[in-house]
Amino acid sequence: MKHISPLQVALDAPTRAPTRRALAKQQTRLKVLAAARRLFSEQGYEGATIRDIAAAAGMSTGAVFANFTDKSDLFREIMHDDMEALTAAMRDAAARGRNVEDSLLKIFMAGYTFYKTRLQLARAAFSVSWDKDGGPTLRGMASSTAFQDLFTEQLTAAVDRGELSQESEAKLRSQMLFDTYLSNFPQAIFEGWSLDALQARARDQIRILLAGARRG
Amino acid sequence: MRRSQKEATRQRVIASAHELFDTHGYQGTTIREIARHAGVSVGSVFTTFASKGEILSEVMAARLEPLYAEIDRVMPHLRGCTADRLRTMFAVHFEFEAKHVRLFMSHIAAAYDWTLAPTARPYGRTPRLQEVIRETLAKGQVEGDVRLDVDLQEIIDLLMSAYAWTYRLVITREADAKLLIGVMDRQIGLIAEGFAPKHS
Repeated sequence: MKHISPLQVALDAPTRAPTRRALAKQQTRLKVLAAARRLFSEQGYEGATIRDIAAAAGMSTGAVFANFTDKSDLFREIMHDDMEALTAAMRDAAARGRNVEDSLLKIFMAGYTFYKTRLQLARAAFSVSWDKDGGPTLRGMASSTAFQDLFTEQLTAAVDRGELSQESEAKLRSQMLFDTYLSNFPQAIFEGWSLDALQARARDQIRILLAGARRG
Repeated sequence: MRRSQKEATRQRVIASAHELFDTHGYQGTTIREIARHAGVSVGSVFTTFASKGEILSEVMAARLEPLYAEIDRVMPHLRGCTADRLRTMFAVHFEFEAKHVRLFMSHIAAAYDWTLAPTARPYGRTPRLQEVIRETLAKGQVEGDVRLDVDLQEIIDLLMSAYAWTYRLVITREADAKLLIGVMDRQIGLIAEGFAPKHS
C-alpha cells in the first residue's frame, strides 16, 4: 500500500468511508453465499449450479464470478466459515471437560450438534472430500487443519497432566479420533441418529481408542 | 426389449461402467459416457438401471466374488493373535482393492450421492468383511485375547471406519497397498488395546 503522510491525509477531502460500491459488493457476496449454502444443502455439490445459485441470489452469473472464482471456491468459503465457527465452539466445549475422555466427547458432541441442522451440507462436504481433486483442497484448508489439531492438543495436554502416558503413537491416535468423529456422520445423515445415540456411541469409541494410552 | 438383448445391454453397461469409474471416478463419469463406451443408447441404460448409483452397486457386487473366494480360502489358515488375524484379513482386502482403487473410492463417494435412495448406501461396508471380523473376534473371546464384556459391533465399526478412511491416503499420498497395509496394521494395534484383557 502506498504510504500517505498525515499531512497529505489532512489535505485530502473528504475522509474515505467505505464506498457505496464496496458495500454493494459485500452485500452481493453475502447474498450469493446464503443462496449457495441453501442450494448445496438441497441439491448437493454436483447438483447445484452457478446459474441456479445466481438466480436464487437474484444476481447474474457475472456478479457471482466477480466475487468467486468458481463453484469450488464458493463451497470452500462456506466450509471455511463453518469450520471456524465450529472450532471455536469445540474449544469452549473442551474447556468444560472433566478429564480427557470427557473433553473429547464434548468436542464430538459440539460437532454433531452444530451439523444437526446442516446435515445435507455435511453430506455435500463428504462427497467432495472423497473426490480426487476436491478432497485434498478441502483438507488442506487452514481451518480444517486447526480443527484436526484440536484432538492432538487434547491428547498432549492430557499427557502433561499425567492422565495419559507419553507414547509414540499419539499422532496416529489423534488421527483415529478425528476419523472416528467423522465416521459417525453417515449414520446421522442416513439413519437419523439422535444426539443421545451419537453421544453413547462416541463415549464407547473414545474409551476404546484411548485404552492403550491410559495410565495405570 | 427382448430378454436376451436386455441382459446383453446390462453386461455391457456394467463392464463399461467398471472401467470408466475406475479411470475417472464416480463423479467424473456420466451416464452418456457409459452408454457411448458400451455402445448402447442412453435410453436403454435407463430402462435397465434406475440411476448411476445403482450401476455402481451392480459393478461392486460383480467384482467382489473373487475377493470373497480369497477370504474363504485364507480364513481357515489364520494364525497368531486376534490382532494379527485381523491384519491378515485387511491385507487381503487392500491388495485386492489396490488393483482398482478409484473404483473403491467411487463406492464410498457414491454413498453420499443425491440420486441414491437412503437405504441403498453401501459406504464400503461389505457384509462379508463384517462377518469375518465378527468371527475372528468371537474366536478371540474363546481363546482369551478379546475381553468378553466388549461390544463386538463397536469394534467392528471402528475397524471398518479405520479401513475406509485409510483409503484417503491414496488421494493424499498416492499410497500403494503396502503403505495402506502398514497404516492399517498400526490402527488395528491401537484398537486391539481397547479389546485386550486387562492385566490383573
